[in-house]
Amino acid sequence: MAENKYITLISAEGHEFVVLREAALVSPTIKGMLRGPFVEAQTGRCRFEEIPSPVLEKVVEYFHYWYRYRDKEDVPDMEIPVEMCLELLQAADFFNLDAMQTHRNTL
Amino acid sequence: MADEPTLPRLPPSLLVNDGRKRGRSMGSPPTHSSSTSSDPAFFSSDDDPALDNYQNHGRRKRRYVGTWYDQQPASSDSGVGEDGSPSYHPPRRSRARSRARPQQQKRQLKRQLDSGVWMGADGCSTDTDDSVDLEPVAARLPLALPRTQGPMQSSAAQPQGWEMEQIVRDKILACVENGTEQVDLSGLDLESIPPGLLDPISEITPIPTVAKDVGFEQRDPQIKLFLSNNRLASFPVGLLNLEHLTVLSLRANNLVKLPPAIAKLRNLETLNIAQNRIRYLPAELLELLQKGSKLRNLHFQPNPLWRPQGVLVDSEGAEEYERLTFGARPEAELELPWSGLTTKLQSRTPVHFADGVRDAAGSTFTIPAPDSDAEPVCPLEPFSQLVVPEALAREVRFQGATSKLINPRGPKTLLELAIGACAASGQADRVVRYLREEDRVPHYLAPVVERAAAIHDEGGLRCAVCGRATLMPLAQWLEFRQIGRTTITVDAAGRNTDCKFVGLGDGDRALLVPFLRVGCSWKCVPARVEQTKGKKVQGQNGDLRVKQ
Repeated sequence: MAENKYITLISAEGHEFVVLREAALVSPTIKGMLRGPFVEAQTGRCRFEEIPSPVLEKVVEYFHYWYRYRDKEDVPDMEIPVEMCLELLQAADFFNLDAMQTHRNTL
Repeated sequence: MADEPTLPRLPPSLLVNDGRKRGRSMGSPPTHSSSTSSDPAFFSSDDDPALDNYQNHGRRKRRYVGTWYDQQPASSDSGVGEDGSPSYHPPRRSRARSRARPQQQKRQLKRQLDSGVWMGADGCSTDTDDSVDLEPVAARLPLALPRTQGPMQSSAAQPQGWEMEQIVRDKILACVENGTEQVDLSGLDLESIPPGLLDPISEITPIPTVAKDVGFEQRDPQIKLFLSNNRLASFPVGLLNLEHLTVLSLRANNLVKLPPAIAKLRNLETLNIAQNRIRYLPAELLELLQKGSKLRNLHFQPNPLWRPQGVLVDSEGAEEYERLTFGARPEAELELPWSGLTTKLQSRTPVHFADGVRDAAGSTFTIPAPDSDAEPVCPLEPFSQLVVPEALAREVRFQGATSKLINPRGPKTLLELAIGACAASGQADRVVRYLREEDRVPHYLAPVVERAAAIHDEGGLRCAVCGRATLMPLAQWLEFRQIGRTTITVDAAGRNTDCKFVGLGDGDRALLVPFLRVGCSWKCVPARVEQTKGKKVQGQNGDLRVKQ
């Protein structure tokens, strides 16, 4: 089956976000879901029961931000609303969007 | 002793022998080091010109009190005034009785003013009856006690919290109003300085001297701030905004480190950080310790600075390392003769690698915690070596250029962005508490957020190699440098002819000071200097060698 160019991320409330596959692969977590022997890999639909829509929306925004600037210099920082920073902190941890992408998983 | 740094010159307006306040420091032992850590004897004198007549009596309160009643037969007052007994009652009462004499009514006004200044007490402006006369006498005690017996023993009369804040605010306001450039906040037992408290200092403008045949000129203020003999545990960040600070004394506090943003104080001429608990200096301070900078006096001893293990001298390697790591910086020729402080690199430690979440990511060398009590000795690494963790090779293999760990270019990680938002929000402490106490949250992020918030509050941090702002330093190492005084003379053609470097230190043993360098990624590390005999070979920042 040919890989679709886009994948769908579904939030706790059931909102669906269609994301460029290549952009979402910045997250080792999503990469693992799509590469492994899971349903997600076949359908291209990833369901995140614990992540509310506004947070997932911001994460998706980050995926595209990263994709757009991935090999640029002097990148402007993405705006993070203050009230959401704690939830995004946890989301970043969940999606493994920190400096150590493989290191901690392979320790 | 020939290397002893000279103290800053006293302004001519001050009396040299007025060393009373400084002299009674809190029992600090004389230091064995060659550089004296004492502050120059500045303090606010009584500037009221009407008092000029009394200068030859000295500056002591007793004389001072006595002179108010000079015209009265007051010799008995001045004799006993010092022990705090209410000895000025007789003249006051006599004034009350003979109110018809106009001279004495004038004195009444002045005395009020004076007691306000001396006692640091506000709101005692009425003195119509005798009961008020006692008040200034009582208020003298808390002022006198800390000076003579140290801060701990004066608990009974110790102002605390907001009272202390009010005292500081009043002192600063007095300086702003009088145009006094010396702000003396020493010996107040301050434990911390709330943000914004020091801001009014930046409003101080000196009163220009007006003389005949001299053009009126508004000069920049030269603010001298004395915070010595307090109990500050962290550097008061508010003073980083004081652009015109020229003298800063933080002597005899409990500081553990200086913030990197101290390099913002470009007009600093004297910095006194002696008698603290400082382990290392930020490498950013080197910006104030280079050719052409204004810093003339740096008192950093005694402090429990980290020491290098052994001696490793490679001056050629040191030069090459600085050039390759931090980029070639051709030293500008100075137009005028210059004398000031510079440093000479001698050696560096291995690099402490962190992954941003865990602290030591398989790094062989760890920079000790600055607040640990041990007196650590740091191992050294030759400039031709660079030990990197094994994880680096794995990261290069699996992630390649997209990994932020090895590539500082490109967008920040979401974690870094979120932590940045946390730190900037000013609510990092609440986030940290939540991360610590709640279930089902990543607990290990709490110290990361805490550290980032501390860096943010200190005024930010930039990578020493690539210059990017970072809140999560991933590489750190120490450079041991000798601080010395350099004198440069300029010949007629404008060329710098004579450069002399005289290191500060105890006799012939060079005194090495640790400076902390910070890198934002695992690529922002010291360049490895290739050692071939007599020939310099270009190396690259990323030219890393993996430890076997």
